[in-house]
Amino acid sequence: MTHITEETLEYLAKLARMDLADSEKAKLAGDLEEILNHFEELNEVDTTNVEPMTGGTAQRNVFREDEAETRKEMNGSADDIIAAFPSHERGYLKVPAVFGEQE
Amino acid sequence: MTLLKDLTIKKIHDGLVNKEFTAFELTKEFFDYIETRDAEVQAYLSLDKVGALAAAEQVDIAIAKGEEIGMLAGVPMAIKDNLLVKGLPATAASKMLENYTAAYDATVIKKLKEAGAIFLGKANMDEFAMGSSTENSAFKATKNPHDLERVPGGSSGGSAAAVAAHMAVAALGTDTGGSIRQPASLCGVVGLKPTYGAVSRSGAIAMASSLDQIGPLTKTVEDAAIVFSVIKGKDPLDATSVDVVYGDELLNPKLEDIKKLRIGLPKEYFIEGMDDYTKGEINKAIEKIKSLGIEVKEISLPNTKHALSCYYIIMPAEVSSNMARFDGIRYSRLDALQENEPKTLLGIYHEQRGQGFGKEVRRRIMLGTYVLSSGYYDAYYAKAQKVRKLIKEDFDNAFKEVDVILTPVSPTAAFKIGEKTSDPLQMYLSDIFTLTLNLAGLPGISIPVKQYEGTSELPVGFQLVGKAFREADILGIGQFYERIR
Repeated sequence: MTHITEETLEYLAKLARMDLADSEKAKLAGDLEEILNHFEELNEVDTTNVEPMTGGTAQRNVFREDEAETRKEMNGSADDIIAAFPSHERGYLKVPAVFGEQE
Repeated sequence: MTLLKDLTIKKIHDGLVNKEFTAFELTKEFFDYIETRDAEVQAYLSLDKVGALAAAEQVDIAIAKGEEIGMLAGVPMAIKDNLLVKGLPATAASKMLENYTAAYDATVIKKLKEAGAIFLGKANMDEFAMGSSTENSAFKATKNPHDLERVPGGSSGGSAAAVAAHMAVAALGTDTGGSIRQPASLCGVVGLKPTYGAVSRSGAIAMASSLDQIGPLTKTVEDAAIVFSVIKGKDPLDATSVDVVYGDELLNPKLEDIKKLRIGLPKEYFIEGMDDYTKGEINKAIEKIKSLGIEVKEISLPNTKHALSCYYIIMPAEVSSNMARFDGIRYSRLDALQENEPKTLLGIYHEQRGQGFGKEVRRRIMLGTYVLSSGYYDAYYAKAQKVRKLIKEDFDNAFKEVDVILTPVSPTAAFKIGEKTSDPLQMYLSDIFTLTLNLAGLPGISIPVKQYEGTSELPVGFQLVGKAFREADILGIGQFYERIR
């Protein structure tokens, strides 16, 4: 039986870069436990010498010429992409300061 | 003009070519109807009246000039809100993308535009396509047009409800575990999930990349074939898309060929899970199909019982990776948080993601993060990938004996709003008959057992599963089924 402790939840939230509200923790831990325990039935499947299936139908590499292309020829232009960014100025994308006071 | 409820793609095409009505008039009539009907159904998140009427005028100009128009020219469509249409909102029904406007067209949209299709608006869905009832939309719950107290299914619930309520003639949806087929079944319309790789995913907001496919929801199987024939094809912008030549039988199936197909009924899909009403309806469909002269026999897909666990490991793992791009910086930022924003970038990620994602999305991100985390990867994710292979091999073996597989789509007809929202596992079971196809990459179609409109019965669909890239087989059987049901 898998048990999801508050520390596990905190650890996962940190990996996922996502705050959790205190009010949702108990229900979330319970849901995860129930779902993870359901997965235990997979232990009865013998997967010795089975190759993992990692993708959809055609599992082969796809190559193309290594040439620069502009998005305009393909779909949207650079201006459109920049305009869709939440914050921009004179063609530059604006983001908050990357290095803060702590951490 | 023909009543909206009787319109199909074929009828619109004939009506336009014979000058019975113009594309402009038709589009306007749809918006008038949406205004009243969608107040109760709530299928659309946003409408584009200006753009749609302008596109319709272009079709009318082409007809006036005597130009030949394609089958989709002037056809009013609803587009699921996780597909990008340049200049229109693409929220994926998430607060996270509330202010996002698409900067380019998805490849499927580009193809539909070239074909002259008209986009009425963006359809509601479960947030980021995660759910089976459209109740997980951050903005509103869509109602089932057959019974407004019930869900339309999901995640493409807005697309299915729009077509079922005659607020669009066709729609596009996406299907990761059943998100086209299950709402099609619950709303009494046709829904096709193509083979993985048959349709480009470029411009679809990704949920689980090895499982996602875009496909049509329509009133008839013939219409589904028409939309599929336009959107399919290899695309340099999606490396997983495949170059496949589909023959004439895709649009013009012949009964003599269809009769030669053998259909398998996998016993594992008929043992448990289905309620009696659904079972009764599915049996009616099987009898009708036999009456076409098609051989039907029992087959076995022994690993079916492990599919739910396998899917609910692989899908959240891919979800947790795909959702990483929504950081509150790149696409859209929650306005409410900007005033007292944390000072560090990391703090912004935590807060924006914490408040931007809804409950189900958070649950799947946490689950996916867990199964991919150090120490658990082999036990869950690697194991699930091996089980996925076994599930695929079950289908490979079955397809040595039969050409098409018939199963139920959903264990029950449409359930009541709120009935399953508190128990995630119960909700996950809604997709038990559909998600196996996404794991194996196979095409599947949901077809209503009969015409349900005007009856007091809830719609039930049955599913036909084809070999990879053999959409023609399931669409072909479906088209002949439609003529005799």
